[in-house]
Amino acid sequence: MSVEFRDVVKRYGTATAVAGVSFIVEAGTLVTLLGPSGCGKTTTLRMIAGLVLPSEGRILIAGRDVTNLSATQRDVSMVFQSYALFPHMSVLENVCYGLRRSGQRKAEAADRAREGLKQVGLAGFEERQPSELSGGQQQRVAVARALVLKPSVLLFDEPLSNLDARLRRQMREEIRELQQRLGLTVVYVTHDQQEAMAVSDRIIVMNAGRIEQQGGPRDLYERPATPFLARFMGESNPARGSIRRLAPDKVSVRLGEAEIEIADTATADGEATVAVRPEAITVEPAPGPAGTLPGKIAKASYLGTHMEYSINTAAGTLFATCPRVERPLAAGAAVAVSLAPRGVIIVRQ
Amino acid sequence: MRAPLAWSVAGLLAAVALPWYALQEGLDSGAWLSGLWSSEDYASGLAQSIAHGKWWLAPVLASLAACLAVALLPLERERQGTLLLLASGLGLLLFVAQALGIGLRGWTTEWLNALLGELDARQVGIGAGGALVLIALLSLLSIALALRGGFGGDAFVAGAVTTVAASIVLFTAWPILRILLQAFQDGDGAFMPALLIDRLAAEKIWSLRCLTGGGRCGVAWNTLFLALACGAGTTALGLAFALIATRTCFAYKKTLRVLTVLPIITPPFVIGLALILVFGRSGLVNQFLEWSMGVQSTRWIYGFQGVFLAQLFAFTPVAFLVLIGVVEGVSPTLEEASQTLRADRWATFSTVSLPLMRPGLANAFLVGFIESIADFGNPIVLGGDYGVLSTEIYFAVVGAQLDYGRAAALALLLLTFALGAFFLQRRIVGTRSYATISGKGDSGLPTPLPDRARRAAQWIALPWAGFTLLLYGFAFVGGLVKVWGRDYTPTLDHYAKAFAIEHTADGLIWSGAAWNSFWTTVKLAAIAAPLTAALGLLAAWLLVRQRFAGRATLEFATMLSFAVPGTVIGVAYVFAFNVPPIEITGTAMIIVLCFIFRNMPVGVRAGMAAMSQIDRSLDEASLTLRGRAPQTLVYVVLPLLRPAIVGALVYGFVRAVTTVSAVVFLVTAEYELATTYIILRVINGDYGLAIAYSCALIVLMLAVILVIQFLVGERRLGRRAPQIQGGRA
Repeated sequence: MSVEFRDVVKRYGTATAVAGVSFIVEAGTLVTLLGPSGCGKTTTLRMIAGLVLPSEGRILIAGRDVTNLSATQRDVSMVFQSYALFPHMSVLENVCYGLRRSGQRKAEAADRAREGLKQVGLAGFEERQPSELSGGQQQRVAVARALVLKPSVLLFDEPLSNLDARLRRQMREEIRELQQRLGLTVVYVTHDQQEAMAVSDRIIVMNAGRIEQQGGPRDLYERPATPFLARFMGESNPARGSIRRLAPDKVSVRLGEAEIEIADTATADGEATVAVRPEAITVEPAPGPAGTLPGKIAKASYLGTHMEYSINTAAGTLFATCPRVERPLAAGAAVAVSLAPRGVIIVRQ
Repeated sequence: MRAPLAWSVAGLLAAVALPWYALQEGLDSGAWLSGLWSSEDYASGLAQSIAHGKWWLAPVLASLAACLAVALLPLERERQGTLLLLASGLGLLLFVAQALGIGLRGWTTEWLNALLGELDARQVGIGAGGALVLIALLSLLSIALALRGGFGGDAFVAGAVTTVAASIVLFTAWPILRILLQAFQDGDGAFMPALLIDRLAAEKIWSLRCLTGGGRCGVAWNTLFLALACGAGTTALGLAFALIATRTCFAYKKTLRVLTVLPIITPPFVIGLALILVFGRSGLVNQFLEWSMGVQSTRWIYGFQGVFLAQLFAFTPVAFLVLIGVVEGVSPTLEEASQTLRADRWATFSTVSLPLMRPGLANAFLVGFIESIADFGNPIVLGGDYGVLSTEIYFAVVGAQLDYGRAAALALLLLTFALGAFFLQRRIVGTRSYATISGKGDSGLPTPLPDRARRAAQWIALPWAGFTLLLYGFAFVGGLVKVWGRDYTPTLDHYAKAFAIEHTADGLIWSGAAWNSFWTTVKLAAIAAPLTAALGLLAAWLLVRQRFAGRATLEFATMLSFAVPGTVIGVAYVFAFNVPPIEITGTAMIIVLCFIFRNMPVGVRAGMAAMSQIDRSLDEASLTLRGRAPQTLVYVVLPLLRPAIVGALVYGFVRAVTTVSAVVFLVTAEYELATTYIILRVINGDYGLAIAYSCALIVLMLAVILVIQFLVGERRLGRRAPQIQGGRA
């Protein structure tokens, strides 16, 4: 079912955690709330759950106004960052808990709980205690416990932050697969933009209690609307460039001695803030051809899959990643920097 | 919307089918059933307002009826909430106004008389009907607030907050407010502001003649001197014990911990009694001196030195408990850091460890201070001519003076001292606490104490511990000899006199002198303990887990009542509850209520400490899994709180049995309690019986502690619970 926020505000005393937020989560999609810590994303999630009630505005779930309903009265369930498995109950009792509280009989609840555990690949673990499970298994129990209630909305609060890197990727794939197989409506909170891009249909980026931008992962990465977004979604080098319109849908961007043509319809001629993605920077030993930017390597690090360079140029210090590890350049080398058009973004202020 | 309907109907039923006012003989006689309409004493609220001229009850009942109407209307959630809020809020206001405004002699205050003319009607204390209507109105108010989105939209939480808040207002705030009023009133109840100044300025309170030589000092100074000495003494001793227990390889550390349990299960005056047995006129020391050197025995133990010594023995374990946490809390990492920075053990101790403990030491000092000014048992047993505020208040109320105004003024003074110390403590602990216990595992070993400090601590603490045990030993033996000081023949006479059971033709007769008060104590404490624990833990749950307007105020109020000395509470209950609207003086109920509200703050503290160790997301998980708030409480919170439940139950019971200061004003011939009975025996010089009875009480409490632990299950009393986190406990 869909979730809708209309001008929702949440204040704690004088502090404003969420300052007027409106969005719609379509039924059957996975939408991520992304942002740095303290941006209001968790408060927003908890308002969907009903664990926090808004100070202003309305919240609708499946078209029904649930603004003042408590968590129990809403048809949502949540997977917590700490998993929140009840330590005094077995795995089966944990998964049964919600079913029993909804008034199901014991045997029936146990059947459905076993079904749910099978769905997350934990058949046979029913009688274990939560403390006897690994982090990933605890995570799956938490998911099963929320799933068996067949909620209209399933909420995830930074579900992977307690797992190691390898397991994190595996779990996020499992969550995405489960969501698509069962057609669930999921709202997912994370501060990790890679995780957000990997699992989401749409991403809502929040900053300082407001929505900064929302859209698909590709939209946000390739067309960030604000400098904050350009910095937050992946790495980028901020720089000042001068813009000259070449055609109705094309401009030329000049950074120092380098000049590239990129697709653009809106920006006026003159100075503008430009974000340059590190992977769009190619580094060659100097001297390069015309239209490249001369520079000098300040730092060079070898990272196995790629090289990282800091390069001093006339357009400022640029951070670049370069997949060519077989011929690394040393610090102090004079280089020519060229830019690929798809990694140069004009950022509106 | 079933809940508003149910409460409206329940309230209206109570207004129709139960007597509105309190009955002399209680409800269980059933005589009221026939007089529900006709008899003025037995009539229900409805009958009172129509047939017996109590017209002011009608609007209260009307607003209850309005609530019913709102509950029946098919309205939108928030609209219904607003209307219900209006109706129930108005009903409550009217209820409180009539209850406070109209008393035994018509209007309760002069200005109402002047404004509205003499009222030719009277009302007595509220009975079952009135109380139920009040509860129904409060419940409806909470439901209304929840419907409008207050308290997280949860009616249970709203109801719980209202329950806790209303009961604290009724049974703590209101009585204390009454003291204030009483202090301004003369014997006839007229309002005389100048009287308070007269009463407070009396020379008997503030005289300083003992310093200039000749004469006695005022009781206020006496109280302060004693409290300062007691605070300093207990802190020093407590620190010595705490250092030995945590920083040395002393072999009998566990035995030291036992010492901390003893004063909790001992009635507060037992130490005083033991001191009399050793140092009193016919005590061991005097007898030895007389026998060996012919020194005439004196009463030197009675007075400041006796009370001071007794309090030092009684309250050092409390300081130890406070300080052991502080000493353990000093992070070993900091000490190790200091040692790697070229500081030797002594320099580390004096420049790092000790300064880090300073806020804790201040805290321990203030705890000792507060315990001392609140103590009643030791000053009355050992004080002699050295009067302190708590005993002075007692004599003003119970003695020949019968001067309530003076008692109120003295109580006000005592309350000021206690609250002053309490606020000082909060400031010191609140602003300068170096909270060094983090949730993270702190590796590193505590540095052993430097030799100088270790030797000093051992030389102070170990003889003291031995002496404490010796005193308890004498107290025990004292109950087993004929007449202490004169005839040391072993005997069980005292126990027989107190606890005899005779076999007669009519069956068993409980002929012992102590049985009456013993059973009353057990019965009332057994009623009070579960209620204390329930209310305390409920309040703790609300304070830790719920966010609502007024949370900070509620927390402050519960903590504040912790600082109010028992004597003040006792006097306040006498003032507040011997006139309508709540007229319960002389009943068992007032004693039970006093137990509950005296001991609840400790339950709140313990509950809050335990609950903040349980990850909040466990509650939230339950809530999002369709568990409503009460179910969450039962299935998730309480099972994880077992140690705290045991603690609260044990404490509620034990404190109810051992308390003296508060209940000494509330007992009657019918409801006499063990401690007050013993105190009277001591005052009459009947030490044998008093000691025998005290020992029996200690045994009883040990038994009860074991039974409660067995019933609730887990045996984890006193040990720190491990951090409970979802899924990884």
